[in-house]
Amino acid sequence: MRSRACRARACNCWFPRTNQALLRHNSSWAEKVSNPQSQIQTYISKSRDPYVNLSIEHFLFQKTPPGSKILFLYTNRPCIVIGRNQNPWLEVNLGLLQPHDTHNASPSEPPALGTVDLVRRRSGGGTVFHDEGNVNWSVICDFADFTRDKHAEMVVRCLRSLGIERARVNERHDIVLDQGIDKQQVEGSDTHSTAYTSTNAASRPLKVSGSAYKLSRNRALHHGTALLQSPNLQIIPHYLHSPAKSYITAKGVESVSSPVSNIGLDNASFEDAVHAGFISTYGSGMERREVVDDDLLGIAEIRKGFDELKSLDWTFTQTPQFVFSSQPMGTMDFDLSANGKFSMNIRHGIIQDCEWTFSDKKTSAKELITLLSEQLAHRKLHEIGDWAASLKAEDLDPKLSELLAFLNRTLPQPA
Amino acid sequence: MAARICLARTSRSVSSIPTSFSRFAVKRVNVGAQLRSARAFSISAVVQEKKYTKDHEWVELGSDNKTVTLGISKYAAEALGDVIYVELPETGLEVNFDDAVGAVESVKSASDINTPFSGKVIESNGALEEKPGLLNQDPEGEAWIAKLEVENAGEEIGKLMDAEAYKAFTEESS
Repeated sequence: MRSRACRARACNCWFPRTNQALLRHNSSWAEKVSNPQSQIQTYISKSRDPYVNLSIEHFLFQKTPPGSKILFLYTNRPCIVIGRNQNPWLEVNLGLLQPHDTHNASPSEPPALGTVDLVRRRSGGGTVFHDEGNVNWSVICDFADFTRDKHAEMVVRCLRSLGIERARVNERHDIVLDQGIDKQQVEGSDTHSTAYTSTNAASRPLKVSGSAYKLSRNRALHHGTALLQSPNLQIIPHYLHSPAKSYITAKGVESVSSPVSNIGLDNASFEDAVHAGFISTYGSGMERREVVDDDLLGIAEIRKGFDELKSLDWTFTQTPQFVFSSQPMGTMDFDLSANGKFSMNIRHGIIQDCEWTFSDKKTSAKELITLLSEQLAHRKLHEIGDWAASLKAEDLDPKLSELLAFLNRTLPQPA
Repeated sequence: MAARICLARTSRSVSSIPTSFSRFAVKRVNVGAQLRSARAFSISAVVQEKKYTKDHEWVELGSDNKTVTLGISKYAAEALGDVIYVELPETGLEVNFDDAVGAVESVKSASDINTPFSGKVIESNGALEEKPGLLNQDPEGEAWIAKLEVENAGEEIGKLMDAEAYKAFTEESS
């Protein structure tokens, strides 16, 4: 660890450290994290970089000693975080990730968030949006001590201690705010129902925190979002609505979308309450909360995890196999008789083969199909920018031009 | 899903219950068929007993003494809940001890499958791509994850727990 830490990079330290001091700090930090004596550890990150925070979290998951209980709190700049086994083309409107993207498919209402990072995390579950009004809480413990609800229940108790009495854990292990109008009598300690739990469909609970898990080598990580005061609730749906969605049949995990709400707390109050809740659950006498930051990238393993998460290969080629078809189930957006049926099989983010069939079986189509197959096969889908420019054709057949325009609309190049 | 697994296990041990007896019998015939077909290809066909790792994987050494079949234990499959996706390793992949050779997604959880041996992936179970739920139905049989070619496999596998030791291990840690 020590020798490899020489790749240390001096960045936003909270107080100036020399490279040598930073190296010493990082290596003693890494040693302390994995020390069998460090049974209760709590951290809060000053970094707003999702790749840094997820890499610190993963390091804690891998290195903390058996039996230990860890709390890690962090907030990210605006980003979309997809689950380990999800499909970014299906989950995300990739054309919106860069503010000035020329392939932006919905120019009528340009969201105003600037650059939004797309991150594939290491845990399972569905896609979530993070910004500065969202605090992520993460608890790591032994698999034997783990249940999917346990730490969501802990966070619900924290929220109730702050006066959020409508908060409860739902059947998907998420935290929702009940919207019932009439107050019922309930057991106050039940974290799965509130006085406002209602069976009325019109008062559907609003999701405020989504859970996801990572399990490995007898350790379990449960992390969740907590939507406290996001100013972006209105525009989030634009980012999470893919123009390709109706044309994709995918293996892997598809998100379940839920109506969301802010809890209406400031970040610091929530962070303090969750820290206090964690300490009262696992270890009084261990009240000190350690601040961590970008300078932990000086630790080689954290840097390695960060580089991996940031790579486009991780984000895109880890996608489970899927088929993109212009006519998935009789959809008529793309006229079959005039333009044929186009489909591609994509595995590891790479186009394996494509097909283009016409109902009228004209011979001219044969050349087009050969052209497409030859030039698209084995290419990484995320590297294709302008579909027309990516084909080396002297002059484009009108049918082909129409198909390429369709592909530009539905599969714009990600940032 | 967990309930179904419990039922199946009960039906195998309590064979006097008439309704479950037929399932028990079918199971036995299948095992017999596998043994016979293995013998046809090898003169020294002794199917080795399953061994288990602390990470809840099982491994089984083939009759050629170098092919190891790897999967996740029944205990792990029950704990994971409904499996909706299995990521399989590519054939030809060289793996080192403790590397992830696959991953499973169930109820918002991503779980790694780590290999207890270094070696080369020679086959992965494509059936799991189409039917990830097999992993809940038959984790220690039909739903194997991958076959690896491992040097000194016999020696390596000897270091792992047998079924009895593994059972004691799971009871102790839960």
